[in-house]
Amino acid sequence: MEAQNWQLSNPILGLAVVGATFVLFYIVGFLSNRKSASAKDLYIGGGNVGAFTNGLAMAATYMSLATFLGITALILQLQVPFIMLWIQLILAIPLITIIYGTSLRRMGAFSPTHFIRDRYGVTASIIAALFMILVSIMYALGQMIGIAITFETLLGIPYLTGLFVFGIIIVGYITIGGMAGATNNAAIQMVIIALMFILPLGAIMKAVGATGWYFPPLFYSDMVPAMLESLPTFFDYQFSPKWYFSIIPALTIGALGLPHLAMRVYTASNLKSARSAMVWFAFILGLVFSATYAMGFVGVYATATQGLVISDGDADKLTIILNLVYNPEWVTALVIAGAISAGLSTLSGNLLAIGALISQDIIATLKPNIPQRLSLRIGFVAIFAGGLVSILLAIEPPAFLVVSILWAFGLAGVTNAPLIIVGVWWKEANKFGAIAASVVGGAIYIIVSPFVFPSIVLTGHGVTDGMGLSGAMLAVPVSFILLIVVSYITNRMPGLQNKLTKQSDIELIERIHGWKDIKSYRYNSTIGAGVTVVVSAAVAIWALMPWGM
Amino acid sequence: MKAYKKEVQFTIWMTAAFILVGNVGLIFSIFPVDGMLFGFPVMYIVPILMGWFGVFFLTIVAGKIGNRIDDEIDSENDALGVSDEAKDV
Repeated sequence: MEAQNWQLSNPILGLAVVGATFVLFYIVGFLSNRKSASAKDLYIGGGNVGAFTNGLAMAATYMSLATFLGITALILQLQVPFIMLWIQLILAIPLITIIYGTSLRRMGAFSPTHFIRDRYGVTASIIAALFMILVSIMYALGQMIGIAITFETLLGIPYLTGLFVFGIIIVGYITIGGMAGATNNAAIQMVIIALMFILPLGAIMKAVGATGWYFPPLFYSDMVPAMLESLPTFFDYQFSPKWYFSIIPALTIGALGLPHLAMRVYTASNLKSARSAMVWFAFILGLVFSATYAMGFVGVYATATQGLVISDGDADKLTIILNLVYNPEWVTALVIAGAISAGLSTLSGNLLAIGALISQDIIATLKPNIPQRLSLRIGFVAIFAGGLVSILLAIEPPAFLVVSILWAFGLAGVTNAPLIIVGVWWKEANKFGAIAASVVGGAIYIIVSPFVFPSIVLTGHGVTDGMGLSGAMLAVPVSFILLIVVSYITNRMPGLQNKLTKQSDIELIERIHGWKDIKSYRYNSTIGAGVTVVVSAAVAIWALMPWGM
Repeated sequence: MKAYKKEVQFTIWMTAAFILVGNVGLIFSIFPVDGMLFGFPVMYIVPILMGWFGVFFLTIVAGKIGNRIDDEIDSENDALGVSDEAKDV
């Protein structure tokens, strides 16, 4: 088989399927939106979404277009290490829920920045909001590029036309639907993603001769001997333990700072429901993630043993190519609809986060007395504007789709996660520490990334630096250290006492943990803070030592 | 005091358990293991299974314990005799 131009021979079929799914999403969005009367309804669906729906929606928000386009490509390139990297992404919602999600839900926060404003004041929250907008736009940008590439390569629509036409349709639907529409749609989208990914994968496995085709996520071991014979290195870990460790600060902690994920926890009708949603999330995401690894495996297997040729430039399209080769065209059209659904649900989470950040966390913070109607209207404008910006940025797309999304995880981990985690669990954390952590940590992370100063990097291994693994291993601990040490010192400087809001901070922390009284011993451990500083310092020093890559 | 300690300990241990179960690849990169399980190399399939079923199991445990700690915090609040309206803003 030779390298070729992968495209549906009948683009109308693809457009019809995608069009039908859009009509469904618009109807659900429109019906849900009739209830959006306030900002609370718009961003967190009135705080009244059931556990199963919310669990599905959490998974759909998280399963971006990368599932269909990017991950399998990186499995093709990096093989098993990338699978090991991806596995821990499932921890995002469970860790958000247990570490701070329920506390912020109890507080009634719209977004993590809402908490940062109440906890650290206006300046820190605006800095955090600006970083979060950057994170959300980087993330949304990845989805926009993926959507445009899907239409370009599979339906023959020019990249720019696809980007503008479909970008604006999607942004329009999200603006109209709000979070209630997005949540209901995201739940439907998760079902579509799972079906459109796993069922065609079963058919592909059957076509290449795998006997476990009836449960693709796990039953492909009969292909292992042939894989080991033709590509003995597939299962090699390749990298040192340090590389695997760096995944924790970059992606595990990074996911804790992603605003659009945390917002899903706040849509729960109550805390028990939020915890049940986390269980559904883990089950469904585990299923689709495992299927993704299987798809990557089958892709590598097909290129290694079946003579399938996929050029480097086409690696991102592995899932679609396997469907084009082994399945009828109408199946591929459904897979495209699944891919677009995946992009859509993530994008709606990103844009709603941008809307909440701009209207609630920046404008309403600076001008607290604007009427609710105006605030809601600004929210709609901000969502639409965020979408437009990501469309405009996607005109000149960066080289790596998934790599830039994963880099955004690290930025969230550096600039937001420490502020939220320490802010929820340690009363001494204050605004000076928060501002120092966010600004200095963020600056370090950006400087050591290969995007700004390509010569200042920690490992010199392109993908490792590009995904932010090395940068986050340095900047995340630095951010924790600055937050704790600067807060500890400034709390003891008499000249700054009138600039701090110790009493209201203490009351806020007690309240969001569910307490109705105040006790000085609670959430006040100097030992805990000290241990965090020592461990963080050790990790940061380790990050600066040679990586040997 | 009791519910507070439980809340802090639960969060620390549960976070550690989640990170461990989700990063079995890190453990294998330090302590490599040979051999096959269910037809796959152990170092491939165990991280995948733990990253799905292990995490799923932990979410069930975390949900149950989290709900119970909430109830204990509520009952400690009730023991204080503070009315809901007094401070629950």
